[in-house]
Amino acid sequence: MTASLVRSYPERGGDSLYAPQPARILRAKQLTDLERMIELQLTNGRELGHRPGQFVQVSVFGYGEAPISICSSPAKKGSFEMTVRNMGGLTSALHRAKEGDTIGIRGPFGNGFPMSCMQGMDCLMVAGGIGMAPLRSVIDTVLADRDKYGQLIVLYGSRTPGDILFTDEIEAWKADKRNQILVAVDREAPGWDGHVGVVTTLFPQVKVNPKGVAASLCGPPVMYRFVLAELHAMRVPENQIFLSLERRMKCGMGKCGHCQIDGRCVCIDGPVFTAEEARGIHESI
Amino acid sequence: MGQKAVLDAANVAAWVGGIRAKTSVMAPVKRGRASSAFSWIDDVSDLQLDYVRTVLSPKQAFLPAREPLMTVHRESLQVTPALATEPFVLLGIHPCDLTAVNQLDWSMLKRHNIEDPFYRARRQAATIVALDCMPDKYCFCTSVGSCATREGADVFMTPIPDGYLVEALTRKGSALLEGARLRNPSREEEAAADAFPERKRRRTILKIAAEAADLPALFERTYDSEIWEHTAKRCYSCGTCTNVCPTCFCFDVRELADLTLETASRWRQYDSCQFTDFALVAGGHNFRGDRPDRVRHRWFRKFVYLNREHGQPFCVGCGRCSQQCTAGISLVDVINSVIAEAKEKVA
Repeated sequence: MTASLVRSYPERGGDSLYAPQPARILRAKQLTDLERMIELQLTNGRELGHRPGQFVQVSVFGYGEAPISICSSPAKKGSFEMTVRNMGGLTSALHRAKEGDTIGIRGPFGNGFPMSCMQGMDCLMVAGGIGMAPLRSVIDTVLADRDKYGQLIVLYGSRTPGDILFTDEIEAWKADKRNQILVAVDREAPGWDGHVGVVTTLFPQVKVNPKGVAASLCGPPVMYRFVLAELHAMRVPENQIFLSLERRMKCGMGKCGHCQIDGRCVCIDGPVFTAEEARGIHESI
Repeated sequence: MGQKAVLDAANVAAWVGGIRAKTSVMAPVKRGRASSAFSWIDDVSDLQLDYVRTVLSPKQAFLPAREPLMTVHRESLQVTPALATEPFVLLGIHPCDLTAVNQLDWSMLKRHNIEDPFYRARRQAATIVALDCMPDKYCFCTSVGSCATREGADVFMTPIPDGYLVEALTRKGSALLEGARLRNPSREEEAAADAFPERKRRRTILKIAAEAADLPALFERTYDSEIWEHTAKRCYSCGTCTNVCPTCFCFDVRELADLTLETASRWRQYDSCQFTDFALVAGGHNFRGDRPDRVRHRWFRKFVYLNREHGQPFCVGCGRCSQQCTAGISLVDVINSVIAEAKEKVA
């Protein structure tokens, strides 16, 4: 019953919605014990053409596919980056992959963070753990066009000092007076003289006009409820709060059903929702 | 097209045999003592058109339980997509299952404006012959608007004494009937066919106690109901209900490397929202780790979420999930408990 059509990685769309495009690993950098940043270039020479907060489906021969957020800004040309936490077969294969190796990419998928809603506003980023990776694509987009945005405030909660991602870049962000960068770790640790506590304990240091702030959130599910309570107490309007939801995803095209919550497919309608939308969606947070 | 003719029972085998000589045919056949299944037909005498319900639905013609998506070659990373392109005839599907095909068309081809290429290839290759039927105690097509569906069929057959009244609904259907020995219907035969839908409606005993359009609002009132807890206490999370459902389309994607590690094939296969790991993400967080949440998701997805989005419940009243449920859970009993509780809450 089946006839096969042989062709090399075809154009996106049409028959090839499920076929990955090859991408070469340009550079890889170990960020922490568990996280590695991989810089990729599509071998057809095209830009990925993503928006901050979007994700791709990453293929590794023999392992299959997994959804991974893009952590670089579209302002970065010629390549894109993703941060991979070593959690299973496919991600550990990505940790073993070498520069020059080729992997497969489908996407970008999802809506991404609405940068246009952030322009002219103070931008508050609240990140928990590896949630920092997608938010880095937003932060870098703000920094690439710095004058279009107000103050940049980053609240970043990490379990231990050793888990903090992008440490060099965080120092660089701090150098600009228009940026307020606050990092917290969950518990006291040797050599750590920064803030100790969960990410919400950083909120007392934030002074913003709630009408003029756009908040972007990405972190573990448990983080959202507490951060939303803080933002609510600050009287930040719900339609100025953007949160990125993580879900299991197989196709990225609203077909496989895994990421459906209420009437939405997180891969198509999300992963970014306003707090107002999320409140009306069963099982969102 | 649209012309009514009679295909006598004695001429069915010759007609199907003629089709089978030219193309593949999937049709109901007898399985075991009391069961039927959709199967690719080799021997026309296997055909069983007077079946009530197959265990697995004819959705397998368009969404096989497992199908290859592509082969990936390790060295070149070349991808060979697997696409079904050969024409085939899907014969003898009931109006409920035909409705399900229309719903799958929406979810796989129209939803989000994205066409699934594998579904499209199979769907375009198909000619569909629908066949009207009489209900048993599990059927409730009259409650979900699927009992008289003709849309999507190329040929429609209505049982009459000693044969079928057949109508070609499309050009493809006319072509398919060209090889059949047909004759003009008598006035009695036309009357029997005309009366069939009403007889079917009268004989459908099982009913949902509300209009399908009202179900989303009624269900919403029971989101936190104990019904889900009670139903989950009986459910085994075995996934039978979603496997046999003609409208369920969720799938998992797996990659299998061959033993030489030269190629790997990527497959998709039915998945079930009732399985524990359906909403599990890397790092161990499970968004629907509790069984009551999964049970509720199934009912809400069918009668609220997709119902609102598509304007029709994603259930066609075929009765398969209730008949096959390993725990004896009746879909309609649960719906009617929801309706009763929702109405009580308002009163």
